[in-house]
Amino acid sequence: MRMGRDLLVTLQGDLDDVRVESVERLVASEVARTGAHGALIDVSGVDVVDSFVAQVLARLVRMVRLLGAEAAIVGIRPAVAITLVGLGSSMPGVSTALNAEQGMARLRRMRADGSVRIDHGKHC
Amino acid sequence: MAVDPVAVVEDLAYYTQMVNTITDYAVIHLDRKGVIRSWHAGAEHLTGYSAEEIIGRTAAVFYTVPDAAEGLAEADLRAAAKAGRYVTEGWRLRKDGAPYWASVVLTALRDQPGSAGFGMVVRDLTMAREQALTLRSLEQLFNSIADFEVIRFDCDGLVRSWNTGAQKLTGYLAEEVIGRHMSMFYTEDDARSGLLDREMAGAVRNGSVEAEGWRVRKDGTRFWANIVLSPIRDDQGEVAGYVKVARDLTERRDQSRLVMQQRDEILELSTPVIQVWEKVLVLPLIGTLDSGRAARLTESLLERIAADQAEVVILDISGVPGIDSGVAQHLLETVEAARLMGADSILSGVRPDTAQSMVHLGIDLGDLHSRASLKDALQLALRLVEARARSGDGVRA
Amino acid sequence: MASIADIAAAADLLPITSVAIEGESDLLRVRSTTRAYARQAGLGVTGTTKVVTAASELARNILRHATGGKGVATVREAASGQRRGVQAVFTDNGPGIADLDAAMRSGFSTAGSLGLGLPGSRRLVDEFAIDSAPGSGTRVAICQWDR
Repeated sequence: MRMGRDLLVTLQGDLDDVRVESVERLVASEVARTGAHGALIDVSGVDVVDSFVAQVLARLVRMVRLLGAEAAIVGIRPAVAITLVGLGSSMPGVSTALNAEQGMARLRRMRADGSVRIDHGKHC
Repeated sequence: MAVDPVAVVEDLAYYTQMVNTITDYAVIHLDRKGVIRSWHAGAEHLTGYSAEEIIGRTAAVFYTVPDAAEGLAEADLRAAAKAGRYVTEGWRLRKDGAPYWASVVLTALRDQPGSAGFGMVVRDLTMAREQALTLRSLEQLFNSIADFEVIRFDCDGLVRSWNTGAQKLTGYLAEEVIGRHMSMFYTEDDARSGLLDREMAGAVRNGSVEAEGWRVRKDGTRFWANIVLSPIRDDQGEVAGYVKVARDLTERRDQSRLVMQQRDEILELSTPVIQVWEKVLVLPLIGTLDSGRAARLTESLLERIAADQAEVVILDISGVPGIDSGVAQHLLETVEAARLMGADSILSGVRPDTAQSMVHLGIDLGDLHSRASLKDALQLALRLVEARARSGDGVRA
Repeated sequence: MASIADIAAAADLLPITSVAIEGESDLLRVRSTTRAYARQAGLGVTGTTKVVTAASELARNILRHATGGKGVATVREAASGQRRGVQAVFTDNGPGIADLDAAMRSGFSTAGSLGLGLPGSRRLVDEFAIDSAPGSGTRVAICQWDR
């Protein structure tokens, strides 16, 4: 789903190996196709984030960054946050925000803090 | 009486130096007309004005627009001139227009060479006022609890608040106990041996103290009580009073899990998460922090971050007796969980001895913001919130 | 650390559900079964999330490391005095863990400790016990109470 220059990816329910691969492919192609400057991965519908899912999320963020866009995870629920810290899978270095609204502000902040990006002139 | 001019000059220099080192409140000299004649770092810190900007202006500049229009500034000075000393509280404005709840002491200076006029001491009590309001609403909540005694008493051991549970337990009505000494509930032997003092000292030392013992009702009968005592600290970290939760174990009727849970919840309520500003939460940690308690506090904090859409969380540790690596670990875990929900954290209430022992223990808080006072932490929090708002709305390349 | 026997003894006999772990889709069943028992025992949101996540970790371990990726998860409600809880035991006939101490060493990342994420799972639950030796497979028992 497009939100201006940003992409919103909503994950729900359970992520098995097959789904993970298709999500990664989808996100990569969407970022490239739309020239999105940022992607938000919304996990507010995910009850259980174990170490595997945490790895998947971190990989998604890395992948989006390689494609020249910023990325952040949004919607981590309190119980999930506590669990991730307990597991030791709290994804250091991955940007996070409370919800999509705060996430978009976060993306803008990250862009303003300036990573050098090659502009292909597709936007205003 | 002849005054040694050299001594006066030396005293003045010493006095000036002393005032200049005060940073937590403002000590200002006004002339007879209320014009500001002296300034120092603490005053700038509090109000935002620099010496060049403020000297020569009247104190009315600190008052809110409606108060200034009503001539409150002049009225306060007249009251001080008449009584010699005048104490007042009210909203004041900083240079940037931000309001704060001020405690002001005005003293009329008479017969001092070169310094007639007024001395004005201003303290920022915004935090304390928030806490007082929260405390009042908590007390209303406590009053409705009938199964437990939940009361507050001050540092002198005098009862300050009473609740339904306390009345049920002891038979005393509120008006019969407020202002009286806590030893009235103890047996003669215990009162004489200073048991209450030992319990209070233990609570201050360990963060809270749990004890069992005989207590006495209004009708003279005894009951076997289980009590938990916790100190209440103000935002300077000083003990301002105590909270006591007690129940009757005489018939061992309250062993159920549910009641234990309620007691823990009540103790949690004595360290509530407070929203002090839009998007800023404060969690004042009081007492010892074992993993069970830390887990519960973290849960409440995260729920509040979600409910209030908070962006900054201040963890105030001035009420925690000792920061060892276990407590530091709990703090870091809480901070990390808050980060996963998009919130920045600030540690506040770090006392000099705390900082020292943390360094000695090799406790590394990474890049966690840390401030000595809650006020400083709040200032940083507001800057962080503002920075988010600014860059979030602006369109920058 | 408690032994398997201690944990099993703490649970009075109550309904039990066994889930064979052979494929990815079984992880889903392990999670939903654990969640159902946790709800029934009256665990709060956080306690439930933690035990379901730990169950997911342990079940995934079986898929990844056990011989033929096969094992069993047995979930039941637990009771001890006034407390209620959920207990789960994960069994496999895999190669077993040679150095149990190393596997249980509490670093703070799942990257260490032989990649089994055992210290992490342990931190999430109230009780944790493990029995494992080369050639004898592995049994992990966890228990989460309503407090």
